[in-house]
Amino acid sequence: MEHYSLKINGNVYETDAEPFESLLDVLREKLRLTGSKKGCDEGECGSCTVLLDGKPVLSCILLVSDVREKEVLTIEGLPQGGEPHPIQVEMTERGGIQCGYCTPGIIMSAYALLQENPRPSEDEIRFAIAGNICRCTGYSKIVEALQAAAGTPIR
Amino acid sequence: MTKKRGLGVGSMFYGIGYGFNRADIGSAYIEMADDGTTTVYSGACDMGQGIMTVVAQVAAEVVGAHIDTIRVVAADTTSTPDAGPTSGSRATFVQGIAVHEAASDLHDQLMQTAAGMFECEKDELEAHNGDVYLKGANAPIASLAEVAARVHLLGGRCASWGWHDNSTADVDPETSQGDAYASYGWATQLAEVEVDTETGHVKVLKIVSATDAGKAINPVAVEGQIQGGAAMGVGYALYEQHILDQGVPRTDSMAFYLVPTSMDVPEIQCEIVEVFDPKGPFGAKGIAEPATVPTTPAILNAIYDAIGIRITDTPATPERVFQAIQEARARGEFED
Repeated sequence: MEHYSLKINGNVYETDAEPFESLLDVLREKLRLTGSKKGCDEGECGSCTVLLDGKPVLSCILLVSDVREKEVLTIEGLPQGGEPHPIQVEMTERGGIQCGYCTPGIIMSAYALLQENPRPSEDEIRFAIAGNICRCTGYSKIVEALQAAAGTPIR
Repeated sequence: MTKKRGLGVGSMFYGIGYGFNRADIGSAYIEMADDGTTTVYSGACDMGQGIMTVVAQVAAEVVGAHIDTIRVVAADTTSTPDAGPTSGSRATFVQGIAVHEAASDLHDQLMQTAAGMFECEKDELEAHNGDVYLKGANAPIASLAEVAARVHLLGGRCASWGWHDNSTADVDPETSQGDAYASYGWATQLAEVEVDTETGHVKVLKIVSATDAGKAINPVAVEGQIQGGAAMGVGYALYEQHILDQGVPRTDSMAFYLVPTSMDVPEIQCEIVEVFDPKGPFGAKGIAEPATVPTTPAILNAIYDAIGIRITDTPATPERVFQAIQEARARGEFED
């Protein structure tokens, strides 16, 4: 076991973990930040997506030892002042969520996109969430919700 | 690099519920607290399809309560009666009626008490959005919460339950003829594809789905189910296959068993057709699984329209399509 001070959502979390543990396992099991989901645990489904220094990464295949001195943002860090982020609001209002398992990963990928590109095209939105597999929605309402959150025209 | 486009149509019908004399039961409890909060204990399990929302909508409409005052407790074996699985596109169709019955009886109890409060007949009263009205009047005479409080004060019953049996007769055991299901869903989809004749890659450009929903109780949820179903149809047509090698799964991860991504699923335009179904709640019937069925034939027909070749094995992978094109080229039957 090693000791880690992890910068997550603007707070510092102190925890002990094995260096080979995944960031996802530490988030969920040690820190009880269970918003990030474990879908496949092998970097294929995207439901564990978090931001590392502003870039979307798959926390299930990222070792906790690689996260030292970096800023992690999880879905729990998105709401401001208790209010859900506009992406969260639009996903909820427009039917972008069905079973909800892919949702935190989709939202984090979308958040990363909008930070870099505030007014993306539909193709850019679809490319940004291509690593987040959704089995429920057929993506249409997710794309609509992200267009609404970006304030771009909805098809 | 040559790309050819084609359009295809697929149509289907689908038996709603379990049919074939299999148990197909819905049931729910309902109660109204003295502050007007209505709780529905519904056995139907929501895995994202939206049945909890449908249950709340049906209860609100029938009781006459405001949707925000409905609380749904779902699929909890300690408190909800059995409503069977959420499968076979049966949840709205079967459980919707059970909730309708429970809510209707609760509504009657409330109107009975309100009639006593206002010295009229209960048939002269109606309720909507949480208020009680003399039929046709613009101003309410009481809130449902006041009536519910009165029922509680008098020690009356402010609760009910509903049960619905959607089981059907079986078909003839010798001829398999008969009317197996309580109702049938209908859907037609169009797909437009682009086939790359150098690589065999098929891209679906657009899907339009016309689905008979009976009555769309929640149009956003209906569209979501149709779009999700069509996306599965895209996967079935082009990507997904389970490969066993001497009993050992070779497609045992999402990197090999390909589920379509946001780049693979096109715009899916939904046309909801509403043909009232007398057996469903407010005329509604199941739509979710039906939406999956016509997508694959529509895509395969669109491939045929594009390149003049029938692909008869799914998924229509680039390898299969390319091989079929090469064979047609060898026979001199393919125009590049």
